[in-house]
Amino acid sequence: MEQEYAVEFHHVSKIYALKSKDKKYTDDKRFYALKDLSFQIPKGEVVGILGTNGSGKSTMSLVLSEISGIDEGEMVVNGEQALIAINTGLNMQLTGMENIELKGALLGLTKKRIEEIKQGVIDFAEIGDFLYQPVKKYSSGMKSRLGFSINLCLDPDILIVDEALSVGDKGFAQKCINKMEELKNEGKTIIFISHSLPQVRDFCDTAMWIEGGMLKEYGEINEVCDHYAEYVDYYNALSNDEKKKERDRKFAKRVIPNGKTSFIDKFLRAIKNR
Amino acid sequence: MFKSMKFVLKENLSNLYRIYSISKYELLADMRDSKLGLFWNFANPTIQVLTYWFMFGLVFKKKNVGSIEYLPWMLGGMVVWFFISPCITNGCNAIFSKVNVITKMKFPVSVLPATVVLKELFNHACLMAVMVIIFAMYGIYPSWHWIQLIYYLVCAIIFAVCLSLTTSVLNMLARDTRKLILACMRLLLYLTPVLWSIDQINKYPLIKSIVKVNPIYYIVQGYRDCFFYHHGIFYYWKSGLAFWVITFVLFAFGSFIMYKFKHKFIDLI
Repeated sequence: MEQEYAVEFHHVSKIYALKSKDKKYTDDKRFYALKDLSFQIPKGEVVGILGTNGSGKSTMSLVLSEISGIDEGEMVVNGEQALIAINTGLNMQLTGMENIELKGALLGLTKKRIEEIKQGVIDFAEIGDFLYQPVKKYSSGMKSRLGFSINLCLDPDILIVDEALSVGDKGFAQKCINKMEELKNEGKTIIFISHSLPQVRDFCDTAMWIEGGMLKEYGEINEVCDHYAEYVDYYNALSNDEKKKERDRKFAKRVIPNGKTSFIDKFLRAIKNR
Repeated sequence: MFKSMKFVLKENLSNLYRIYSISKYELLADMRDSKLGLFWNFANPTIQVLTYWFMFGLVFKKKNVGSIEYLPWMLGGMVVWFFISPCITNGCNAIFSKVNVITKMKFPVSVLPATVVLKELFNHACLMAVMVIIFAMYGIYPSWHWIQLIYYLVCAIIFAVCLSLTTSVLNMLARDTRKLILACMRLLLYLTPVLWSIDQINKYPLIKSIVKVNPIYYIVQGYRDCFFYHHGIFYYWKSGLAFWVITFVLFAFGSFIMYKFKHKFIDLI
């Protein structure tokens, strides 16, 4: 039987240790980057993740792609997920072609598969004759196009896109959207992390709003986007003092003075705090 | 414990192509960096060998070791050192130098030590070619005894991977590991009978037996045996036993901490 959900979160938390200001206190505070998140993303859904700066969106993308482990709760991922990372794994000394091969290998593709995707990447990245030039000679737009194209030609079940479209010009962003549109029609689950409300509104079916590491709202796209826009307006309208208060209030909710720690955490902190 | 060893083994074996590609393109990138490229892979070890030969062969006038002239004798051990030493120094940096990759994609971290060793293996092959030429000038030609080199080479590779596995994780926990290792490399060179013969410390049997346990010495001794002495693998079974025990312990400990910290690396940067 096919599973219904692509991603399931059950009370997931991610905790970072904070160094205390005062050196005398060895027991540091701990900070919830993500706090008690529970949700289920059905297969084939395109979810936009919204949130102001520091609300835990990037942590979310790391956790979702299983790069970073979680500290509490349970996370179930059905299928292969991939984080769209732009400039990573590109080696400045190597040519574009060699970089396609290298990045393909880094991502764990077989030799045969790399040969298959090569042409697609070259077409999509529009780098033309620069293919056989070292990447150090590329413009920054070319670099990101190349990096992005290699990622898109992978064939994961779940795509996690973190602010990826903020690079490159409008035309390329549109091309990426079209490509993702294609993937969407193939029934892939796409998790789209962005600041840009219009893009999210345009592209996603549902949206998730994370605020202060906690899930604020998850539901139909327009509804969540409206609420989010309202909140941003409300926040911007506040005076500086009130803004600060609001931030402190959010921050206080995420800090735990000194909870129970697992042995590994203790060990890690002992190493880090010498 | 066994779970972690199984995990590391499986991850390495199922990613052989990935390991090969990473080391291939790292080498290529290194070569592109300089104008002369591949030339340096040969020139660098040759110049180093010449330095030691000048020092010990000419200035200190080292006598023949047994019936073998000093330069070929030293070279026979030095090839091992020139393989193991960069494996150790770069191996402990294996994970940290790939931070931009492991923070941005799902990546089997435990294959990184193997990529470093594979890359050095290419340099080792270059130096072996240089060595064969120098040996020929001294009238030492390849013989069927050299087949045992394969066994010792496998030993060296496994040892280097196991050691890098441990040190690379420790280096992520505390960057001091690398500093410590860099500081100790010269010491390690002189503690291992590469430039001097182990018979020179016959007067101190305790120190001699400690030196014999040194896993690097086992490989150095093995290479020399293939080139000059032809005693065979089983002649050194005591050192061999010590070697495999040490290597296994390193592997067990290395994979244990690798498994334990595999999701924590990103928080350790």
